[in-house]
Amino acid sequence: MTRTILAVDDSASMRQMVGFTLRRAGYQVVEAIDGVEALEFARGNAVDLVLTDVNMPRMDGITLVRELRQLSPYKFVPMLVLTTEAGPEKKLQGKQAGATGWLVKPFNPEKLLATIARVL
Amino acid sequence: MLTAPPNTAPKTPKPAAAPGFSNIQRFWDSHTGHWTARILPGEFYVTRSDEGVSTVLGSCISACIRDRVNGVGGMNHFMLPEDNSVGKDSWSMADGTPSTRYGTNAMESLINEALKLGARRDRLELKLFGGGRILPSMTDIGARNIAFARNFVRIEGIPVAAEDLGDTVPRHVVYFPATGRVRLKRLRALETQVIAAGEFTYRDRLAAQPAESDVELFD
Repeated sequence: MTRTILAVDDSASMRQMVGFTLRRAGYQVVEAIDGVEALEFARGNAVDLVLTDVNMPRMDGITLVRELRQLSPYKFVPMLVLTTEAGPEKKLQGKQAGATGWLVKPFNPEKLLATIARVL
Repeated sequence: MLTAPPNTAPKTPKPAAAPGFSNIQRFWDSHTGHWTARILPGEFYVTRSDEGVSTVLGSCISACIRDRVNGVGGMNHFMLPEDNSVGKDSWSMADGTPSTRYGTNAMESLINEALKLGARRDRLELKLFGGGRILPSMTDIGARNIAFARNFVRIEGIPVAAEDLGDTVPRHVVYFPATGRVRLKRLRALETQVIAAGEFTYRDRLAAQPAESDVELFD
């Protein structure tokens, strides 16, 4: 069965690169431009994994993870953060919000796919 | 302009650096009457104060960004690392090559830090400088950097307010995010060797330590 990944990033270049990588690896990808759009989609649809940026307009990725964890269908869904933020404080915030893992950009397709395979 | 200007007394107090940017060297530029941050290849600087950001470019690119309304913005200075595995127009590949991913990261880091200081993505304007073919013997890495930068801003849909790209000259650029003003000086050939040497060092550093993404899975 094809797995669906919700990919959230406010940068069109990142959405393009990440989306291409995931689709080529056989995943179905739903793209969202910020936390608000992602949360709206997640409320009405099931996804197998959430991959989100941190700094985004309207709702950041850490808030998104926290909000999603409140929803019972998303209690155990893997949520990975892909970000330019390498600082330990942000990382800790992500962990406390309920993120499964933290990937620091620059984006590396092989590493991303390997990490997704591990947590799915 | 490569040496520090005469050390006259500052007329305004040095603005506080944004979190994470206190390591960037800043000096009082009596010429412009502004505190000015000096960035080197691979560095970037963002501010919400009325100060300048200065750099010297050969084949590297500087993107200058600012929020048109509140003046929060800054400047980066980067080049694409060499891609030995693929053709030179590889920046068009949809998931990027290691070099375009490095470039994307340089642009995104600048944008993200500006957004954190209060800039809004939908109000960003951008200016692009550099990408000169400063040494005729080299492959035209400036052109490759320009192609990447143009492609990036097209995909992101950020309006380009001004640019001075290509040609065979090095450039000294000072950018004032608060107003969007730019002071640009095309440098003489005399300074080319020094600038090229600095860029070679940067390029070698990138080749020796490819930008690596770091992964941590929480328990």
